[in-house]
Parts: sequence; structure tokens; C-alpha cells
Amino acid sequence: MSSSVIELSQIEKEYPGVKPLDKVDFAVQPGEIHALLGENGAGKSTLIRVMGGAVKPNSGAITYLGKRVSWQSPKAARAAGIHVIHQELALFPELSVAENILVDAQPRGRFGLISNRARHARAAEILAQLGVSIPTHARIDELPLADQQMVEIAKALVGKVRLLILDEPTAVIAGHEVDLLFENMRRLRNEGVGIVYVSHRLEEIFEIADRVTILKDGQVVGTAPVGEISREEMITKMVGRRLSQIYPARRAAPADGPDILSVRNLRAGPRVRDVSLSVKAGEIVGVAGMVGSGRTEVAEAIFGARAVEGGVIEFDGKPFPRRVPKDAIAGGLGFLTENRKDEGLFLGLPISANIMAPDLQGITKYGLIDRSRERVLAERQIDDFSVATPSPDVKVGNLSGGNQQKVLFSRWSRIANRLLILDEPTRGVDIGAKVEIYRIVRRLADSGVGVLMISSELPEIVGLSDRVFVMAQGRVVGEVEGDALGEEAIMDLAVRSIERHKATAEEIA
Amino acid sequence: MSAIAMDIRRNRLMMSYLIVAVLLVVLAVAGGFLSDRFLTWRNVGNLFQQLIVLGMVSLGQTFVVLMGGIDLAIGSLVSALTVFLANFLEWRPDLVWLALPLALVAATAVGALNGLLTVVLRVHSLIVTLGMSSVIFGGTLMYRKEPGGSVPRAFADVAYAKIAGIPVSAIILVAIFALAGLWLQRTRSGRSIYFVGGDREAARLNGLPVDRIVVLAYALSGLCAGIAAIFLTARTGVGDPRIGAALTLQSVTPVVVGGTILAGGRGGVLGTFLGVLLVTMLNNLLNFVNVSSYYQWVIQGLIIIIAVGIHTSRRR
Repeated sequence: MSSSVIELSQIEKEYPGVKPLDKVDFAVQPGEIHALLGENGAGKSTLIRVMGGAVKPNSGAITYLGKRVSWQSPKAARAAGIHVIHQELALFPELSVAENILVDAQPRGRFGLISNRARHARAAEILAQLGVSIPTHARIDELPLADQQMVEIAKALVGKVRLLILDEPTAVIAGHEVDLLFENMRRLRNEGVGIVYVSHRLEEIFEIADRVTILKDGQVVGTAPVGEISREEMITKMVGRRLSQIYPARRAAPADGPDILSVRNLRAGPRVRDVSLSVKAGEIVGVAGMVGSGRTEVAEAIFGARAVEGGVIEFDGKPFPRRVPKDAIAGGLGFLTENRKDEGLFLGLPISANIMAPDLQGITKYGLIDRSRERVLAERQIDDFSVATPSPDVKVGNLSGGNQQKVLFSRWSRIANRLLILDEPTRGVDIGAKVEIYRIVRRLADSGVGVLMISSELPEIVGLSDRVFVMAQGRVVGEVEGDALGEEAIMDLAVRSIERHKATAEEIA
Repeated sequence: MSAIAMDIRRNRLMMSYLIVAVLLVVLAVAGGFLSDRFLTWRNVGNLFQQLIVLGMVSLGQTFVVLMGGIDLAIGSLVSALTVFLANFLEWRPDLVWLALPLALVAATAVGALNGLLTVVLRVHSLIVTLGMSSVIFGGTLMYRKEPGGSVPRAFADVAYAKIAGIPVSAIILVAIFALAGLWLQRTRSGRSIYFVGGDREAARLNGLPVDRIVVLAYALSGLCAGIAAIFLTARTGVGDPRIGAALTLQSVTPVVVGGTILAGGRGGVLGTFLGVLLVTMLNNLLNFVNVSSYYQWVIQGLIIIIAVGIHTSRRR
């Protein structure tokens, strides 16, 4: 297969104690979209880095365009036509679109100075090539995420791109934006570019990819044309076991008894205009809605992390006089934040410290932290939630995304014996860990905890929730439960109310 | 590989300590070869006597850096306190019992004010403490432009007192460091310093009293500067409005050399202690081989850069 854009053979990479890549063979043909599938920690990112020159393999050969290569730096790989688009975009938010696109190829004019006019002309040319209309003078931070991603792709087109690698590009965009991205990927494919596409979302792989390679524990466990492998086979290969069922069974009967949480006409800032919802003990209540509809802000207001302007928050039938997260925690509330790395975990600290962080008084004796008790408690939680770690002393930053999320569950399930708020509990987590998390959530609910779950993934909302509140533009626009609970019903509510809102706005105007 | 080696490999902080410890030994041996007076009891005693001032300010800096800030007011604060102490004691030598607590309270208050300002104004600690440093420095100069004042003999002796041949100041320093280590590792407020330094927003959402912890860290830094000033005044016998000027940056050296990262949340006082030993021993050795103090500055700067380079390169 000398026609490959890139061909890796027997690539190995080893760090002390871990081997992210173990004799990996991987090849991308020109004009092919090759999906790379695997759980978190399977070695996908390391493989991408090897191809992009950011990581040097310990052994194995890389053949690029028919020649043996050994990248000395990402710059060398890029110069040769390999462009990697990471999940976290590498853009300068304060600079213009044109400056970003031509970041390492600023066109020179007279006297060797950068020519502003040439820059914008060239940038516009590249964007036109992509079929998107983004103003080249706009600052990056003024653009929606989807456009920012297009700018990132445009950067790849400055030179001659032969291999484009996209690491979970759809994690931050949705709907129409995904379509646009796919359209451009197809266009590049038709021009003969080889594309490596990393994603957790199986649906997307079926839609866009030609071939799929599945990694598990650093080894290739299968590679096949997309048409010749079923969804079930992919999951089985990736997780290493058959998934009879992704979602645990719902409650047999609707929860009765009084509400644990009752929110009425809550107002808190521009994104929470009028929210009423309730959660009973033992019930999983979903909160659906578009990104930006105010879901996270509602959770923050309930938890005391956001100022409340009006309305009532009742906890166990009593007005909840909490002002700060500390009081909420004392009342038996827990909040698994959306962005676990910035708002949830202390990545540089050990698992045990992370688990016990909100409950230090619980392990303090005579003013000193009882470390053996801390360890015992932490180990119990680690077992209980099957966090994969050799010891509670391991730093959380060294765990995979799924395991980090399980650490958060270990932390909050101890304290939140009344109500647990989950904000995107499975973001950036592979399917194996997702299934585990779903079971954890259901188990917590069965133990009598009320669960309020915010999620952008409708299958998850529908699959797990007993009841769902739909939000749009800072308001709860509807409630779905029982047999009516389905993706269409939810989308319908979310979209229709936005359109109605627009219509009213136009009438007023 | 032995279990201990594995353990050290896993724990980067231990590794940092080990590196500094090895450097210490190398330096001591090199010193022994370069000068036959270096490894004498007399000199080692001297060396330990010198530890307390740098040790205390570095300890204070460690708290603030671990919490995710930096304290640039330390030097001016120490200068101001030496001026206060020396002039107060010249006026009323009998009121030592009052002067010392007063100095410590004032120092703590200034530190707490630094913390309050960063919390209330939400301004970066670099700016707040830089401003505070300038205010204190200017204020001190308005009061006394030149070194002056004096201290009673008994107070001066504190700086040089020894028990069983060991300088009292060194014993105090070790005791304070041990307490600080215990506090950081084993108490709620101490561990919260790491939480706040590791991720302030996460700490808030975990229900920790973030603002109080910030103020506490700065207040402790102030207190440490107060203790340093007491020993400095006792040793020099005068109050000098410029004596602490160099201390601010010097206080950062042992912290980063000891493996505490400037971003906060990672590190510890043991590293700082080893760092203090290293810097003090190095300067002492350079004195012995008659290297001018200008070179000492150069070398200290190089140490910072190299140490941080080593620590971060291992992190990659």
C-alpha cells in the first residue's frame, strides 16, 4: 500500500508504567475519511500526536507520502502537509480571523513588512474555498464556536494539506454546524486529502467515515470499511464486552411523595427568566434544551453559586435560605459541574483529597485531618464507583476522563444524600464509562436521592430520565413524562418555543 | 526497581526534594575542598544562624504561592518593621515585651490587608502587593531616611543565642517549619490552601471559604515577615529602611527551587526549607572563596532559572 498518505507500522510508545501505543499499524489513503474510534485512554490522542510530530514513538516506522520520516517537531510535520486540529482550538481570541488563518505565513509586502491588504485578501480566498462566509476582520472571540472551528480548518489550507487530523471536532458544535463541517470534510476528501476523524459518536462515523480503525488499550483491535461493520460490533470491539443495554431500567412507577426540590418562577440573571421545576426523591429529572438556554445557570442558582433575583427555591418543602455553595452542601446537595477540569476537580491533587474536599470537617479530629480515615473513606468510594486506579494517592490529572468523572461521583454521592445536580455528566467520556455512569446515576436515584440532570445529549436524557423539563431562552417551556418521553417531543418543544418567541419579537418590531 | 525508587518516581515532589538534597551535598563537599574552614563547626553554626531571616520570609512566600498568589510586599514590610523596632527600642528599651507582639500584630495586619485587597478589588496579587510594597517603602522613608535606632543588649543576644551549640534561631526556624508542614498537610484550613491554589473556582463550588483562605495566606506571610524582622533587627542592631529591599525576590528563590510551582496548588514547605539551606550555603561558600556579592546575585538568578527549568522539564 505505497499509495497511502501516511502509514504507521508497529508504532510503540511507552511511558513509565503505561504503554499508550502497542505495535500499532494504521494507514490513511488519499481521499479517505478514516475514523479513529476508542475509549478514553485507548491511545487515540497519542496516535494523533505521533502523526503530528508532537510525540516521538519509541519504535516503529512512519511512512509519509512514500518516504520514511521521523518528525523532529510538530512544525516539521506541518511543513510537510499534516495538519492537526485539536479539541481545544489553537486560536488567538484577541486577533482577527485573517491574522489567525495566516499565523505562520503572514504575507509580506514592501520592505518585508506584513501587508494587511494581502493578508485579508489571502484569508478571504481560503475561506471562500471552504464555502463559508466569515468576515476576515472579525475578532475570533466574536465568532461562534463553529466559525472558530472553520478558521482552524482554514489554517490547514494555507499550505498544501495532505493529511488533516480532527480530534473530536463535534464536541463543541451541533446540528447545522455539524452539517457544514461534514460538507467541508467531504470537499477536502474529494480533493484527495486524507482525513483522520476522531469521535465518540458512532452515528457520525456512519455518516461521514469511509473506514474505521478501533483502538483498545493501545492496540488496534479492528479496522474495516464502515459499510462492513455494524454499530454493535464497533461497540463490542471498543469496550471489549457486549453491551446488552446502554440505559438501566426506568422506575417502575412514577415517584410519589413530596418534592425534594421545588423551584417556582426563578429569575437569576439574563439567562434564567422564568423557571419552575421540581424533583422528588428517587427520581431522575432531565433538563433538556439548546446550549445557552440557561440550564447551567439554573443549576448554579439552585446550588447557591449564582445570585437569585426572584422566585422561590424550596428544599424539602421549606424555603432554602442558602446563599453560598457551602450551605447547599451542608443541606445535602451536590453539583457535578459541566467543566470538570476548571470547576470540579483539583487535577494536581490526589484522588483522596479530591473526594474529601467538600467534607473536610467529616475527617477532622482534634483539629487535625485523620489521614487513615480519609484513606479508608476514599478507598471505599473508589471501590464503590470502580475508579480505575492503583491507589488513592494518584493525582486526578493522571486519570482518564471517565475516571475523573467517577471521582466526582465518588465525591458528591457521599455528601449529596438529598439531591444531586448533574451538568453534562458524560461529556468527553467514552461509551464504556458512560454506561457505568448511567448505572451509577440510577443506583443513586434508587437509594432515594433526587437527581436533576442537565444534558445536551438527547438520547441520554430520554434514556435515563423519569421526567424531563425542556428549557428555551431562560424559561421552562414544557414538561414531558411517561410514554410521551421521546427525542421528537423534546426537540419540538425547544424549537417551537424559540420560533414563537421570534415571531412575537417580530410582531412587536 | 526498588519500591522506594518507584515511589519517588511517582511522586514528583519527592523527586524535587531529592534533587535539591543532592545539590546540597554536592555543594557541601565542594565547599570542603575549596576552603578548609567551610566544613568547620564554627562555620556550620554560623550558617545555621543566618537561616532564620531568609527562612521566615520564604515560608511566608510559600503559603502565598501555594494559594496561587505572590507577595511582593515582604521586603518593604521587613524594612519598615526593623525601623519601627529599632526606634521603639531606642526610646523605651524596657518595653521589649510590648514591641515584639506589636510588630507581629502589625505585620499580620498588613498581610491580611493585602489579602483583603486582592479579594475585594479582584486585582491580581502581583499588583496589590507591588502597590502595597511601594506605599510601605515610601512611608518608612518619610519617617527615617537613614539607618538608625538601637536595641538593648539582651535583645541583640537573641540573634546569637545557642543551646548545646545549636543556634536558637535555627531551632525556632525548624520548629516553625515543622508546624507549618503539619498545618498544611493535616488541617482543614491548611489543605484548603492547596485547594484554592489548585483551582479557585472548584474550591468555591466545593463549599470552601475561598476568600478567607486567601486572606489567611497573606496574613501568615505578614506574620512570617514580622518574625524575620525581629531576628534581623536583633542581629543588625539598627532599623534600616532599605535592608529588606532584596528580600522580596530572595524569598521567591527557595520556594521555586524547592519545587513549589508558581501557578499554585503544588509544593510544600520541606522543599522551601531545603531551598533556604541551599541558597544560604551557596552564599556562605561564595563568601569563603572571596567571590564578590555581585556574583552572588548573578548565581542566585541562575539557580532560579535552572531549578525551575529542571522541575518543569521533568513534568513534560
